Amino acid sequence: MASVKVVGLQKLYGSVVALSNINIDVPSGTFFTLLGPSGCGKTTLLRAIAGFHSQSAGDIFVDGQSIGDLPAHRRDVAMVFQDYAVFPHMSVRDNIAFGLKQRKVRAAEIKTRVDDVIDVVQLGKFADRMPHELSGGQQQRVGLARAIVVQPKVLLMDEPLSNLDAKLRVELRAELRRIQQDLGVTTIYVTHDQEEALAMSDVVCVMEGGVIQQAKPPFEVYSRPSNRFVASFVGSNNFMQVDLNDSKFSLRSTGEFISSSVRAPKSGSFVGAVRPEDLDILPSSAQTEDDKKKLDVPVVIQEVSYVGREIEVYGQTSNGELIKAIGRPDAELITLAPSDKVIFRTQKEKVLFFVDEHFGVRI
Amino acid sequence: MQKKLDLWTIVTIVIILLLCILLLLPIMQILILGFMDADTGAFTLANFQKVLTKNYYVNGLKNTLFVGILGTLGAGLIGIPLAFFTARFKIRGKAWIQTLAILVLVSPPFIGAYAWIMMLGSNGFITNAFKAIGLDTPTIYNAPGIILVFSLKFFPFIFLMTQTALNNVNKSFEDAAENLGCNPWQRFRKVTLPLVFPAVSTGAIICFVLSIADFGTPAILGRGFRTLSTIALGAYRSELGGAPTMAVTVSILMMAISMIALIIQRRILAKKRYASALTNLPVPVKLEGWKNWGIHIFCHGLVLIAMLPSIVVIYTSILKTKGPVFVGGFGFESYQRIWRDAPEAIFNSFSLSITAALLITIASAFISYVIVRRETRVAASIDFLMMVPYLVPGVVMAIGFVTVFRNAMPDIFTATVLLVMVYFIRRLPYGVRATSSSLRQIQPSLEEAAINLGASPLGAFRMITIPLIIPGIIVGALMAFITAINELSSTVIIYDSSTITMPVQVYIAVLDGEFGTAAALSTILLLSTGICVFAVFRFAEDRESAVL
Repeated sequence: MASVKVVGLQKLYGSVVALSNINIDVPSGTFFTLLGPSGCGKTTLLRAIAGFHSQSAGDIFVDGQSIGDLPAHRRDVAMVFQDYAVFPHMSVRDNIAFGLKQRKVRAAEIKTRVDDVIDVVQLGKFADRMPHELSGGQQQRVGLARAIVVQPKVLLMDEPLSNLDAKLRVELRAELRRIQQDLGVTTIYVTHDQEEALAMSDVVCVMEGGVIQQAKPPFEVYSRPSNRFVASFVGSNNFMQVDLNDSKFSLRSTGEFISSSVRAPKSGSFVGAVRPEDLDILPSSAQTEDDKKKLDVPVVIQEVSYVGREIEVYGQTSNGELIKAIGRPDAELITLAPSDKVIFRTQKEKVLFFVDEHFGVRI
Repeated sequence: MQKKLDLWTIVTIVIILLLCILLLLPIMQILILGFMDADTGAFTLANFQKVLTKNYYVNGLKNTLFVGILGTLGAGLIGIPLAFFTARFKIRGKAWIQTLAILVLVSPPFIGAYAWIMMLGSNGFITNAFKAIGLDTPTIYNAPGIILVFSLKFFPFIFLMTQTALNNVNKSFEDAAENLGCNPWQRFRKVTLPLVFPAVSTGAIICFVLSIADFGTPAILGRGFRTLSTIALGAYRSELGGAPTMAVTVSILMMAISMIALIIQRRILAKKRYASALTNLPVPVKLEGWKNWGIHIFCHGLVLIAMLPSIVVIYTSILKTKGPVFVGGFGFESYQRIWRDAPEAIFNSFSLSITAALLITIASAFISYVIVRRETRVAASIDFLMMVPYLVPGVVMAIGFVTVFRNAMPDIFTATVLLVMVYFIRRLPYGVRATSSSLRQIQPSLEEAAINLGASPLGAFRMITIPLIIPGIIVGALMAFITAINELSSTVIIYDSSTITMPVQVYIAVLDGEFGTAAALSTILLLSTGICVFAVFRFAEDRESAVL
């Protein structure tokens, strides 16, 4: 078990910047997730830590010791691969024993350690099978067992569940987290699946454009995104134009004041963000409440889509913004149709403000 | 940051050095010698002037292009219909036809020439049979015979490549053409043929390049009809002792023809790239009545005619002989004679080819890894260099080797060493291609996993990569062996009395009219080749791509 520290890491491919000044701090035993869309640099960062390609600048430390210049096979960080990478010409047992043999562990000890880990990942019945006789989920268990059996300082996982079907993915997700916590192994996990990231992690590190956008515990990333990109990538969000007058934000479509006395730049354009689940759907005849804490947005319905557990209602504001609300599909909502007028209502305190740019900061 | 010298960077450097010395250096040397005055060593264009104006050379050039182009056309006239019939119609024994085509492809290249002499030559048995009933047969010597042999020898390239392409044409295109009012012939000409044109032209370019480079066929069948390869050998022999300027000038001409042909084909192909979704695979149609009979006779007849030389050779080898004369009946005198007179040819052929094949196998594993796994410009240029040996005729490569290596250090570069070297570089692409196509099937994460678990790069290569690409390595080794043991055009330049090989012995025997011994030696070559081909079939996932 060890802490991981990445300092000023940079990776260039020619003139293309794949990673730009990456600094992360992963305390010992943490489940640390790199989350981002494809091409954001998360896999590049993971592979740099594994030593599969050299960084252009910066360094990586494990327990305070630099590993940035160590060749990949001497780093003692074990990796679980997206495509399992289970050696097809070796049995399950030989696959798992591979790393121990490289470490010149005595045969008797290899046997007990392999047997133990086979129990941990529940592969008892399959120990002597060949990989092609296993399902994808079972192969990934081999991949995991092979990595943890060497008791690595750090466990790296590169989208280990993305090739599995949805149901198995959720099952294995819980199991991975349980095993990680039992072992207490420092884990760096790459995924593009935000639900997976939120469900499993101690810290979610959102990346885009080779830059870390935010690295915080899941609840904080979801409820207090550091910038507009994080707000739109993690969960879904409605962005509405707001105006800043006298240090007060007002909704452009209705002119209603939302907040007062904000510390914001004097000029520039801004958006207010509300999550769909924070919007209630009310008939347009609903009483306008005097409650200063509520914000009403009148919209014309564009589309209603019923997805079983909930109903998604898309409405257009008076200045043309399309916003989405999610409601429980009761008898009243189900009868809504395009061009009906409704009110989306939320608590003013739920609205977050951002500078209106791709990476615009939260105000 | 300073770049570290890891294992594969060192391997890449070694490969580059190897290719520079064995491939680029001889070619450079040839280019330089071509512009050199044989006596003074000064720069001159006189050699080219001579080659491009003197009748002797100009005729050689014309002859080479003539038999090259017509041979390729002939191969196309056989290969394209054969491909179309077997891909689009139900034909019994399709696998048999393909197997025979592949056997024709790998059989010793010079067998065709002298087997046809035994059939249609001035004393051939078909000629004699026709004479007996008072009929004259067309001559097998000079251009007509060479074109016939080229057509029947090289058509499998066009056949197999076109057939693969036809099998991959989305049937919807043809359905659409029919739906829009094309009759079957229009449909074939306007839709199907253009779609498979890239494959047809690739097959044709291989035929053409091999025809240009072929030495054995014009040497055996040409009665006063010279091509550039026979002229190059002649010039080389007459210039022994001096600088072989005329031989290399002719060589440069041969290389230039191959290069120009390849460039033209690439140019044409560059404009014709077709994307196709493989949603609707073509289904072979069953023909009825005389059409059905017709295509069966055509397909089976053609591959049998192409196999005829091999059959004749094997048959001749067990005819009873007395000296060079066939005395009627069967016997093993021919085999006894080669065992008595030329056992060293058999030994040399096997030891040289096996040595070269082993070296190729080892080099291929490393080169393939660099080409497939290292995505650098250097890796791409190594991949490109692997095409060069196909384009350089054997006679040319051998002359380059002799002038670079033997003339510099005759004690080290004996004929044995030179032969192994020239076999190695000329057949290396076969090994590399088989190995790298096998390696492309292996996910790179397997090697990464091994390294991640503590194996060194070399350890990962040994424990993970090599075991997984063994089938490709075996196919590559076998193909390298087959093509090395049948090599004639380089060997005929380099060999000396102690390094004579079976192909050279056959060539000499044919020139001496010793058809019995030639047949016996050829049969040994044919059998070794055949056994290896079946081993290739056993290990290769795709038979055709393994041998093409």
